[in-house]
Amino acid sequence: MTTVESDAQLGLASPLTPAKRSGWRRIAAGLWLFGRRAPLSAFWGCIAALIVFMAVAAPVLAPYDPLKSDFRAMTKPPTERHVFGSDQIGRDVLSRVIYGSRASLTVALGAVLFGTTLGALWGLASGFLGGRFDLVSQRIIEFLQSFPDLILAMAIAMALGAGFGTVIVAIAITRIPFGGRVIRSVVLSLKEMSYVEAARGVGASRLRVMLRHVLPQCVAPYLILATTHLGVAIVIEAALGFLGVGIPAPTPTWGNMLADSLNAGLIPPWWLVLFPGTAITVTVLAFNLLGDGIRDVLDPRLRGAV
Amino acid sequence: MYSYIVRRLAFGVVTVFVVSVIVFVILRILPGDPLVAVFGMEGFTKLSAAERASYMAQLGLSDPLWLQYLHWLRDIASGNLGHSFFRAESVGEMIARRGPLTAEIAFLSVILSWLVGVPVAVVSALRPNSIGDNVSRFLSILFLAVPGFWLGMLIVLFLLFVFGYRAPLAGASLFENPIANLQIVIGPAVVLGLGQAAYIARMARSSLLEVIREDYVRTARAKGLSGRPVISRHALPNALLPVITLSGILLGFVLAGSIPVERAFGTPGLGYSMFTAVYERDVFVMQNLVFLYSIIFVLLNIAVDLTIAWLDPRIRYQ
Repeated sequence: MTTVESDAQLGLASPLTPAKRSGWRRIAAGLWLFGRRAPLSAFWGCIAALIVFMAVAAPVLAPYDPLKSDFRAMTKPPTERHVFGSDQIGRDVLSRVIYGSRASLTVALGAVLFGTTLGALWGLASGFLGGRFDLVSQRIIEFLQSFPDLILAMAIAMALGAGFGTVIVAIAITRIPFGGRVIRSVVLSLKEMSYVEAARGVGASRLRVMLRHVLPQCVAPYLILATTHLGVAIVIEAALGFLGVGIPAPTPTWGNMLADSLNAGLIPPWWLVLFPGTAITVTVLAFNLLGDGIRDVLDPRLRGAV
Repeated sequence: MYSYIVRRLAFGVVTVFVVSVIVFVILRILPGDPLVAVFGMEGFTKLSAAERASYMAQLGLSDPLWLQYLHWLRDIASGNLGHSFFRAESVGEMIARRGPLTAEIAFLSVILSWLVGVPVAVVSALRPNSIGDNVSRFLSILFLAVPGFWLGMLIVLFLLFVFGYRAPLAGASLFENPIANLQIVIGPAVVLGLGQAAYIARMARSSLLEVIREDYVRTARAKGLSGRPVISRHALPNALLPVITLSGILLGFVLAGSIPVERAFGTPGLGYSMFTAVYERDVFVMQNLVFLYSIIFVLLNIAVDLTIAWLDPRIRYQ
């Protein structure tokens, strides 16, 4: 029994961590290994970390208040005073881009934390329990998947009315079926493994087998999925903002900024377009490549599956 | 095969029905008063209770919900999709006028994605880890991350600054004015096509790499065929099966993706109407358009499944 369990744990924690070392050193060793195995992803992981830092430290980093108008500089191209230029009511674009990362990351994190996690747990339960519960769950998931995700998010965000919470809920709901599908298929193959059978054989309850033996194996695919979903969620959030059903106006978000640029006149000033869009692209790129790296290091077999 | 088609279609009908219920629930039952959408929050608070009730009755919103749902189904069946809150044009007319443009964009973008994605994948897969492979992989990763609507805005700006060119804004039919039509359609089609091409190149590359290692490809080489026919006749047809599935699914997502992209280009297509409907909180238009898009999405998925079953006998008999 003990060997079976340690095998199971090894499967989860291996290649990164040799057992028994103090917390910080384990993490450091893990990160070091990650950097060696997937240097490109590690680089983009650092960029992702920088973006997270930017969001957290926005008040310190931003040169101006993102909401305050400077009426001496309205729709002005980049200058020394406003490095990224200023928008039509004289707000500093650089500060707004920096603050915009807060909205994007909060929404993305919230959507993944609720949506992907809920989907993953649902997939775990439906894959493991099987039977009628699985059948019904599969149908529900199929129905949820009969909408393109952006349209579903638009409809929900519109119905609930604009706001931080509603955008998170709208995007989270679109993530549920994906989480459910992937984790369910992982669980289905895990269920047939001999260590699961062994655990059952020694008389572990179904709940215990599910939580102690199957769940830990789902952590790796979940992490990979979650990182990729962060990128997707950021794009959807930006699109919602761009279409006017995202987080309401005064809050600076990248999508809102792009939408505002179109209202600036017949021809949108280039600096109002270039900088927020670049921010979206770099952030999504960073999370996608980080996800690829996590997948390659944790479990190369999942290539293509997640 | 026939039983498969029948089963798939039957499930499709059920799905469309459930989808209609979901759309109705989301847009009608969830909190948020349609009158707030029409009059704005301020205007709404100024209305007296009697006025509210009369407006609601006019819009058919004071009936019990199940009755409203049945009315909606009846309207759909009779082809009368109702009116926008803000415009004279009926939803049916709007779809008939603007739909073709969006369909053209979607269709063209799929063709473009294959024309770009598949050759890139072949070059990539034949020489893995070469410079060409790395460049194309980087580009596909990049285009997975670039939001289409932003790329669209950049293209509009670029054309405007460098060539002083802007695509015509008024709608033009393919048959009456093909040149103006092409100018309108090409921008969104390129943006959406590149986005799909990134997925297709990625999928086709890995699928081709797998197929190249198969026995029958080695057999084809061993019997003396040169490289090109081996790839084009033996490897590619098999490698492209999953790509067809992917492309069909992507086409569904392109319909959604065209909403912000059409907004970026100012294209007078159905996607733009969807944007206006959302922007103006026009519940009736939104409800019908979301339903229409979902039906197309469901039909596309069925079409993909049937195509694959037709092309690949291994799936048919499962």
